[in-house]
Amino acid sequence: MKKILYLFTALMLCAALASAQNNSVKGHVTGPDGSPLPGITVQVKGTKAATATDANGQFELSASRNATLVFTGVGFREQSVQVDNRTSIQVKLEASTQQLSEVVVTAYGIERSKKGLGYSVSTVQPDILVQHSEPDLLKSLQGQVAGVDIRSSEGAPGAASRINIRGATSFFGDNQPLIIVDGVTYDNSVNTIGGSSGNSILTNGGAPSTGISALDPNDILSMTVLKGSSAAALYGSRASNGVIIIKTKTGNFTRSRKGMEVSYSSSLSLEKIASIPDYQNQYGAGSDFLYQNANGSWGPRFGTIDSIPTWGPYLAAFPKLFGDSVAYRAYPNNVKDLFRTGQVWENSVSANGGDQKTSASVTASVLQHKGYIPNSDFDRASIAVGGVTKLTNGLNVRSSLSYSNTVQDGGTFGENQVDGVASAFARSLFLARNWDLNLPYEDADGLPVQTSSGQYDNPRWDYVHNTIHTVTNRLAANVRFDYDIRPWFNASYQLGTNTYSTVAKQVIDIGSRAAEGNGQVTFDNFHDQTIESNLLLTFSPKLNNNNFKIKAVLGHNVFQDSYGHTSTNGTVIIAPGIYTLGNTKTQVATSFDSRHRLWGAFADLSLSYKNYLFLDLTGRNDWSSTLPKANRSYFYPGVSGSFVFSDALKMQSNAFTNGKIRASWSKVGRDADPYELFDIFSVGNPFLGQATASVNSQANDANLKPEFTTQIELGTHLEFLDSRIGLDVAYYQGKSTDQIAPITLPSSTGFQSAIQNYGDLRNKGVEVELDLTPVRTRNFKWNIRGTFTKNKTKVVSLTKGVDRIALSGVLTDLGPYIEPGLPFGYIRGTKSLRDGKGNLLIDPATGFVLNDPEKGMIGDPNPDYKAGMVNTFSYKGFFLNVLFDYTHGGDLYSVTLSSELGRGVTTDTRDRENSWVIKGVYGDANTLQPVLDSKGNEIPNITKVSTNDLFFTTGGSSSTFAINSQTEWNIWDATVWHLRDISFGYNLPGSLLTHTPFGSATISLSGRNLWYYAPNVPHASNFDPESQTYSSTTQGFEFSAAPTSRRYGINLKVTF
Amino acid sequence: MIVSCKKGFLDINTDPNNPTKASEALLLTQSEKAIADNFGIGSVLPAVGSILDVYTHQATEYNSNNKYGAVGADVSNMWTGIYVGALENLSSLIEEAKPAGNMKYAGIAKVLQAYTFSQMVDIFGDVPFSQAISFKSEGITTPNFDKGADIYPQLFLMLDTAIMELQDQTAANIREPGTDDVIYGGDVDSWVKAANTIKLKLYNQERLVMDVSSEVAALENEPLINATAESFVMPYGTIVSPDNRNPGFLEYTATQRSVYISPWFYEMLKGYNQNIFTGIEDPRIPYYWFNQLKPDEPDVEGNTTEYRDGGFVSIIFASDGPYHGAAQDNSQTVMGIYPVGGRYDDGQGAGGKGVNSSSGTGAAPFRMITYADRLYIEAELIKSGVLPGGDAAARTKLEDAINESMKQVDYFVGVTGSVGQSVPKLSGTTGATNYVKSIMDYYDANTSQQLQIILTQKWISAFGGNYPDLYSDYRRTGFPIMFDPSNSQMAPGGMVQPPIHGNPFLDPQPAVPVSISKKYPISLPWSSDELDANKNAPAQKDPSAFKVFWMP
Repeated sequence: MKKILYLFTALMLCAALASAQNNSVKGHVTGPDGSPLPGITVQVKGTKAATATDANGQFELSASRNATLVFTGVGFREQSVQVDNRTSIQVKLEASTQQLSEVVVTAYGIERSKKGLGYSVSTVQPDILVQHSEPDLLKSLQGQVAGVDIRSSEGAPGAASRINIRGATSFFGDNQPLIIVDGVTYDNSVNTIGGSSGNSILTNGGAPSTGISALDPNDILSMTVLKGSSAAALYGSRASNGVIIIKTKTGNFTRSRKGMEVSYSSSLSLEKIASIPDYQNQYGAGSDFLYQNANGSWGPRFGTIDSIPTWGPYLAAFPKLFGDSVAYRAYPNNVKDLFRTGQVWENSVSANGGDQKTSASVTASVLQHKGYIPNSDFDRASIAVGGVTKLTNGLNVRSSLSYSNTVQDGGTFGENQVDGVASAFARSLFLARNWDLNLPYEDADGLPVQTSSGQYDNPRWDYVHNTIHTVTNRLAANVRFDYDIRPWFNASYQLGTNTYSTVAKQVIDIGSRAAEGNGQVTFDNFHDQTIESNLLLTFSPKLNNNNFKIKAVLGHNVFQDSYGHTSTNGTVIIAPGIYTLGNTKTQVATSFDSRHRLWGAFADLSLSYKNYLFLDLTGRNDWSSTLPKANRSYFYPGVSGSFVFSDALKMQSNAFTNGKIRASWSKVGRDADPYELFDIFSVGNPFLGQATASVNSQANDANLKPEFTTQIELGTHLEFLDSRIGLDVAYYQGKSTDQIAPITLPSSTGFQSAIQNYGDLRNKGVEVELDLTPVRTRNFKWNIRGTFTKNKTKVVSLTKGVDRIALSGVLTDLGPYIEPGLPFGYIRGTKSLRDGKGNLLIDPATGFVLNDPEKGMIGDPNPDYKAGMVNTFSYKGFFLNVLFDYTHGGDLYSVTLSSELGRGVTTDTRDRENSWVIKGVYGDANTLQPVLDSKGNEIPNITKVSTNDLFFTTGGSSSTFAINSQTEWNIWDATVWHLRDISFGYNLPGSLLTHTPFGSATISLSGRNLWYYAPNVPHASNFDPESQTYSSTTQGFEFSAAPTSRRYGINLKVTF
Repeated sequence: MIVSCKKGFLDINTDPNNPTKASEALLLTQSEKAIADNFGIGSVLPAVGSILDVYTHQATEYNSNNKYGAVGADVSNMWTGIYVGALENLSSLIEEAKPAGNMKYAGIAKVLQAYTFSQMVDIFGDVPFSQAISFKSEGITTPNFDKGADIYPQLFLMLDTAIMELQDQTAANIREPGTDDVIYGGDVDSWVKAANTIKLKLYNQERLVMDVSSEVAALENEPLINATAESFVMPYGTIVSPDNRNPGFLEYTATQRSVYISPWFYEMLKGYNQNIFTGIEDPRIPYYWFNQLKPDEPDVEGNTTEYRDGGFVSIIFASDGPYHGAAQDNSQTVMGIYPVGGRYDDGQGAGGKGVNSSSGTGAAPFRMITYADRLYIEAELIKSGVLPGGDAAARTKLEDAINESMKQVDYFVGVTGSVGQSVPKLSGTTGATNYVKSIMDYYDANTSQQLQIILTQKWISAFGGNYPDLYSDYRRTGFPIMFDPSNSQMAPGGMVQPPIHGNPFLDPQPAVPVSISKKYPISLPWSSDELDANKNAPAQKDPSAFKVFWMP
């Protein structure tokens, strides 16, 4: 079939309609679940006559009575239907990411048949993004696309997710793919609140969202994942980590002859905390079975003492409520009672209308998400409008504009053991078993009241008083012109911008353990604007020899990103309850601005022979503002090819439907961040009225050159049994060299780091997508789609004289590192001491394990592999989707697990009225060598320790497990199964709707994260290793993160 | 529309956020603060004083320091603070000042560099020196570690050069230090005195491994710090944000407190110690620490305390006791007005709510070398025969030193100021006079303990100050005698008995088990970050076996 640019379709349609002599054929196109499909191209076979379906899946065109109509659309199998004298046709398209004839969107919106692609591309059905009780766009992709790793973070509404394709290509970059929405870059960075107050994700951190959360999933028409660098080469520098191309409905809708069409969808879900641990309720606060007003539940068994002294702060705040003592008893539900039932409510309406030349479309949506954590919510309101017209001179003009407003409210998260830090989850999951948190949480002055002041803030108080309120306004706009200069020569130009501003206000209220108890207010203002200009000249000359086809694209791209951040921190709140900067005693402000420009030219030459042999050559030259003049221009080429051997060798049969092999090689260059060329001084805080400055601790390099990533990909695509079995396998190898990154310098040099070109980072991996249709009858269909992702990222070399580099400082005791021969971002931390044979060395004085003064590798946060499986069943109008996914391996440092064990609150540590001997041999605390007996043999440890000591102790130079242990003991294997998603629905048959205003109606029930199982974490913790502390660069750390949530929803979708 | 001239279009990479030049004044203030912050006390930084206050038995903590367990990671921040925060900036300052002829700046920077390196040698033994802070100038990325014995002579030369530069009459000195020099306000004479006194201190430290008598005798004719007001101290302020307060004051603003007053130190000042100053109570106690509890007030947290004596609440060094981990944030005794700018102990307690940021000003200076310190050093030099004068002169020096220590309390409390309380003068009170007399009587009566008495008084006088120096004194001389949990007299049967009737709510107070596996660390382990990043660094040391060169 002749490949036609999407754009041409519409153009030619007009011409075809003008000369129509045939009968009018109407029709309705639906997807596999029966829902109407907009934007499907309907073409009369062998002619140029074509149209596209409208928002309700309706189409109308002229065709002869015996014509054949061909239906094509992104993400669906091509289907041919004979008109056969009919005037009305119902067509149900089958979803497929496998079919070779499928059309996919590639760089710069160029649509191509999958047949000719020499690299791996996945498309995402837009229907998985909505009505699945999952408001987060990225989380919706979990388990759905091979090669893509989605990591979620806090279980709070709006909290960021991280996406990575095929591992890391950059030491210090965020390694997330470029996201392009309607041709314009969409900034997806996370903005950490509170820069001026020294806050971080770790300290007083919130659960910030990323840019993508502003995008309305209801407005998404198609989503394509370009995984390898070949696929991404044309986008240049920014695409080293792959590209996600999103087309919106409003930005890409097609003209229709019908008047106004409206569709409406609504979803309501209830949300709960996914699980809480199994608590022991036999022992309360204390240690060694003695009552203490402590955080750990290692105290006396309930029933052995009747009462305990009233907690000082409660007694002081409510002298009338309490006597000198209170009952010593368990509160089994004290954790459960801290959470509520949240809800997600989503409503979206879209409409479009117009005539053959001009039409317009609008989508408006509102999302309201209240989390299971009280006072946490995420609301998004968005509206997008788009219009298209064809001027009489033949110029096509298309423009769209979308605006969204997101408001996030939430509390503080993160590590609480750092002094002066607040966190709502400081104690929430490991409350002492005798704490009653249903007692009043604040005194008459609004100050927090808890069992001990200073140790933690009462979470109920924290919910209300330590808050972060974030408002983001985002505007994306673009305009595109295209014109056929000759039938074989098209020119298009697009100019777009994506601009947002985020204003965040963090309040730490008076009385919190943070901010010295004096309260503080921090305002952060982030603004970012990207401008993108693309000129594309497309040549598709018709050759005399029909066997050959050629297409060439010449392009020019200008990109500018302007970023700014100001932060003002006011400390010491003057009048309680007023959270303005003016109501604070002192204010400190910081600001930062940066601008980055790229100027690029590129070319793409596609050749094909007999529609089974394809060759594609690409090249791009970039000129970057961030590199020194001498090195600012850099070129990178790519080549890919595809061979459809089933066609070439005429092997097709019922058993073997299709077969193709593909290969590609490509190189992508990347520039530096702004301002890394010249050494600078940092202006410091004034001290005693004197201004200060210091040499910046990072040295820069005036001779930076671009870094390059090269990637080889081999793949095959096979279909068997009339495409009932489809298999797509890709293998890739990538290498990133001359990275522009800071190397760690020993402080004795006077610097902590220096920006340089260095290093060699390699990736290799396998991706498999399997599509099975075990049953396909007229009424019943069962489809299984499986994905498998395995990626290994390894650091091969750094630079001479440097053993390893810390990726970021997490805590003094541990952090993520890069080191030759070891996995990227491996976790390095403190360890226990072992002898040459791996036996733990035990301090004879304590029976605890001696600490190793040297740190070492204690974990690898990268999973061994990931797999997903979607089962889709459809029977008449009913459908059922079930998605499982599985992550194998990957290590996690978990404060929640360490605390649950160390505080003795779960049934894992209930068996405690006995003592233990840690397996090991005796060691000397000074020489750090094994102690030997008179015969020179090591001496096995027989010194007993109590259960309490086993999980919570500090022995000076020796330690045990969980709290106060060496960090290696708080590393857990994050293997986890998830029953990610179930949805069950019904498409009302047309016969039921004939006397209603509805064109179609679908109702469904959905469940999200209904079950999970992590086999290698403490049994009673019921811990979901998916909850992590968000970081754009590093993985594998969880600092008292909010657990994941579970949702049950009901969804309705109707069209008019 | 698209093709704007790309040349100018791309020339936008000039950093709009940070300067490429900084004046001497900006760098000087920053460097002085970095030195004090990192050698002082402060649990958050963490500064090295926060380890050494435990190692010199003036503080106890519920962490590994309490069993001599500090590791390389514990000094990584301090190490970086010194090399990156102080030494590199001073070097950049000199680079800027010298060509311009601003020799006063250059001289001050050199005094500070020499002092800083000397402290590093004293704490760690061998440190990067000859190849340190040379990345910018020579591209050195992995500096060698030099022997302390090789570094010291260079430091004397640096101080000599610095004095010459400070006094250089021919220098242009277009820009001169003033209020940006927060230590001496740009006063060159004071800097010369400080430089000479630093030399005196360093010679004294070397006296057991070499004959320093001629050098010391020569120094006695040079200008030395000659009044408490001339002391080499780093001032702090009262400003909360950005924080200008003494980092040790963080204990007041923290809601979880970690620094206790060591019972060993407490008992010494109370006159409870059976081996020295028995029965002599120190009148400086209410200036030194603050009891959050009144003597008869119950524990605020509802916990059992490990060590209580009236209002005094603490934990014992190397404790294994069941109560030493219990939260005592608002019950424990905390450092007072003199060391950290906290609260003067008027016996009123903290009203059950604990101290907070408005209990004191936090503006206590960090005392690097005071006039009293100089007098103690001279008393030691005379007593040990390095300086002439014999026993009588040594006695006089000691008496002067103790008297100056009393005045020093008043002086620094005056600089610090108080919040909502008036602090009485100490010097000249009967208590102070009687105390000095009692100590001198004790000195006369215990001739075999005289060097011990000098160093013990110096140790008491320096409370909350320069812990690296106290650590050096102990390692050189073995004085003052520190608590040893393995010593059968100090901890009979591995138990320490708090004052039996010290706790009105737990009478008798049970004895506390103590144990220690580590030997006394005679230098600190090197920064683990440095060892991780520097190929030329030695392997990590056994801190109990790595001597500083001036140890006998």
